[in-house]
Amino acid sequence: MKYPATICFATIALLAAAAGNATAHFGLVLPSDDIIAQEDNTTITVAAKFLHPLERHYMEMERPKRFGVLHNGKTTDLGPKLTPAKGKSPDQTQEFTWWRTDYKIRRPGDYTFFLEPTPYWEPAEDKYIIHYTKVCVNALGLEAGWDEPVGLPTEIIPLTRPYGLWTGNLFSGQVLVDGKPAAGVEVEIEYLNESPGNIAVIQPPADPYVTQVVKTDANGVFHYAMPKAGWWGFAALTDAPWTITRDGAPKSVELGAVYWVRVRDMR
Amino acid sequence: MRRLAILLLAVLCPLLAATNALAHKVNIFAYVEDGTVYTESYFPDGRKVQGGTVEVYDAAGKKLVSGTTNENGEFNFPLPKKEDLTIVIIASMGHKNTFVLKREEME
Repeated sequence: MKYPATICFATIALLAAAAGNATAHFGLVLPSDDIIAQEDNTTITVAAKFLHPLERHYMEMERPKRFGVLHNGKTTDLGPKLTPAKGKSPDQTQEFTWWRTDYKIRRPGDYTFFLEPTPYWEPAEDKYIIHYTKVCVNALGLEAGWDEPVGLPTEIIPLTRPYGLWTGNLFSGQVLVDGKPAAGVEVEIEYLNESPGNIAVIQPPADPYVTQVVKTDANGVFHYAMPKAGWWGFAALTDAPWTITRDGAPKSVELGAVYWVRVRDMR
Repeated sequence: MRRLAILLLAVLCPLLAATNALAHKVNIFAYVEDGTVYTESYFPDGRKVQGGTVEVYDAAGKKLVSGTTNENGEFNFPLPKKEDLTIVIIASMGHKNTFVLKREEME
């Protein structure tokens, strides 16, 4: 009787580990619109979440350490304006915290919203996760600022203008760690199944379809062509050279440089 | 030979300039601060519209103000009326765009 219980427990643990592998964690910063024209509402809503984008699973997000916007070379702190909200996927029973704020666009140009979350403890991987996440909103016909770094410990600098993208377009970005190009870094890519206007929820035919993986070249550059309309997330993952102490033990920290872009069908 | 080169340049330069301008839509943006209307006119890549004509119309379509943008694409003027204003930028070669400055932005 003792053995079957052990085997059963081991099987569950293995399954849990397998599931952990198949699903990638992503920080998400999602604006209600990515291109603001003169006739549009200039007040947008920006959401900050931590989730498995394709599987739509939410994870609990503590109040972010830092949340702000870069415009015209100037950074504005929006952290205190964030208010909590609750959400879950259709197959989750429990609700999880995410964050949101309204933001009024007052000038032309590109607005890069950025997020530094509170470190997330992932027991399944025995490590902390910190995803520095960015998204760009273009306003009033001035396409300037999208390629400026925020100055985060790790971040993706788009080489492709990150808005006005058609389905099938190639997105290229450069991964920086401490401001320097990071070679040979894995970039995980997922489709946001809860993208507004997504008419068909994607059911992956096999686990490798959940998360696409590309690696950066010697200059820290990666490319990916996006096959479906909606929002796509790019997470460049590195290990922090430092640890966070948990219950007296040092735990390793996964750093993510995450960037989101919106794609629309050509029609 | 040198004359030919100059002649070629004289013919080609305006052509190149025209191609550049055609690829870019002109934009105007305006806001009010302390009773002054500030306008900025620019191309999508951030280049400023220099020497463009700015015209300001009230809700009835009456022209209230007109002027020329400076080297930074700016043209500023005292707020003439507290109602929706239509501000038009007219750049070279008939490139034109408008911005509606709403009354509620004037407080």
